[in-house]
Amino acid sequence: MFSSLSRRRIIVLVVLTCLLLITLDERGNRAIDGLRSAVGAVLHPIDTATRAITLPVERVWSATMHYDDLRRENEALRDQLEHMKGNDIEARSAILEYKELLALNNLAARFSYPTLPAAVVGESPSNYQNTVEINVGSRQGVRVGMPVTDGAGLIGRITRVYATRSIVLLITDPEFAIPARVLSTDEEVAVPTATTDASTGTTTPSGATASDLTSTTTSTTTTTTIPGLTGATSTTTPATVPPSDTTTTTTVEGSPTVTTTPTEVVRETGTLEGQGADKPLLLRFIDSLTAVTSIRVGAVVDTAGGILGNAPQGIPIGVISRITPGTGTRGAIVEVTPNAVLRRLNFVAVVMYVPGADGSLP
Amino acid sequence: MRALALNALTRLVPVGLITLSIHRVLFARHEVLDVKLQLVLALVVAAGTTAGADKGAIAGFVLGLLYDIAGNTPLGMTALAYGMAGMTAGYVQGLTPDPQWWLASIFATLGAAVGEAGVPLLELMTGRVDGLDPRLAWTVSVVAVSCGLACTPLMPIGRWAVGVRRKKWKVITE
Repeated sequence: MFSSLSRRRIIVLVVLTCLLLITLDERGNRAIDGLRSAVGAVLHPIDTATRAITLPVERVWSATMHYDDLRRENEALRDQLEHMKGNDIEARSAILEYKELLALNNLAARFSYPTLPAAVVGESPSNYQNTVEINVGSRQGVRVGMPVTDGAGLIGRITRVYATRSIVLLITDPEFAIPARVLSTDEEVAVPTATTDASTGTTTPSGATASDLTSTTTSTTTTTTIPGLTGATSTTTPATVPPSDTTTTTTVEGSPTVTTTPTEVVRETGTLEGQGADKPLLLRFIDSLTAVTSIRVGAVVDTAGGILGNAPQGIPIGVISRITPGTGTRGAIVEVTPNAVLRRLNFVAVVMYVPGADGSLP
Repeated sequence: MRALALNALTRLVPVGLITLSIHRVLFARHEVLDVKLQLVLALVVAAGTTAGADKGAIAGFVLGLLYDIAGNTPLGMTALAYGMAGMTAGYVQGLTPDPQWWLASIFATLGAAVGEAGVPLLELMTGRVDGLDPRLAWTVSVVAVSCGLACTPLMPIGRWAVGVRRKKWKVITE
């Protein structure tokens, strides 16, 4: 069969063809995209048949190999669910307050784009690609670059779109990068104590006079202690708007002095990058020295939005799990644990957002 | 060349599609020792050990192309790595025309190691990634050993896919 070609020529031909194809594909080629789409269409029924045939084998394998793990996980999840019930009530209350504040200030919600539900129908066959395949495509309006979330947060973005399926590059892939924002409450910072004039109900921070304060303030966390009223402490935590001033307005009747301790919300913006499967995400700052000193472990990380971002502002990503200070010329390392469990994705939602010059839908 | 193209279309592509489908449905979803075993690569090295370096390279190229098309890797990257894998495994035919199963398995293991390590190395060379995965050695080892073990049962399929017949030896008696 190969008598007309020597071994060396065949190998050289294979290598050159591969290099040519890599170059063409990297530059973007419609013919190759069409070929991928066609093979995807051919593979779909084969996959369905194979899945039907291998399902019994798969179930036996899972039952044999993962039974103990699943039982332990089930118990842990039940415990977690009980804890989450309490958190859920608090979160709902906070969301209602947040929406009230947005309405009061005539502000639009940060993340209000429509989503398209999808099911994960395949995973990357390779050990080095962190991608999943979902069952929606260009026919449903999906486009390259759209962010994809699950119930917990961002899981990735669309990198290839076919007629009825799409490829999602997961946030853990080393090729993934997105502008991200850290919201951190700097609770241990000593904040000047404020005093309140009981007659006017206006709180004035120490070091500032009442004439310096000209507008309504937006403190994020306010703890008010009223002397004479034992245990009377009120706490509010909107935590979405940074305090532009350190002034708080309180109205406490019959109270001569109110001590207010506003907690600042620190915002730092950087670039979040994947490091590979099962590894935390890496957050890089432009000025890492300043940024790292102002954030702390447990801080929430969400998408920063903006013109350069591939996602609208405010999609939760994860929490900071470790901060390693930099040594010498090496910058600090900030690791982020994603909210989403990327190994067990079943249903996801494509955010119908296409990054444009104005950051809005086209 | 015509026979080569015809054989690829009528045998390698259908076998490759079915193998790829089984891989995507079963092996890509269930990891063994935290590694996705590579059924397509196992078929490539099985074809290489049974048909020689040149046909192994062709089998690796065709099956790797299918892998690239179905996956998210740049077209030609896995094809190049698997082509090298098939070629490496096929060198066993240069030692002996009908290798024993264990000798074929050793060369299949070597070929699979080349194929599995080839993809991240090519990604590094093309600038798609900044560095190599620290688990690369472990991943390559597990995939290579599993392919070496799977080589023997997959050899008949690989032999048919590349269109070669099993050698039959006749004893010459006077």
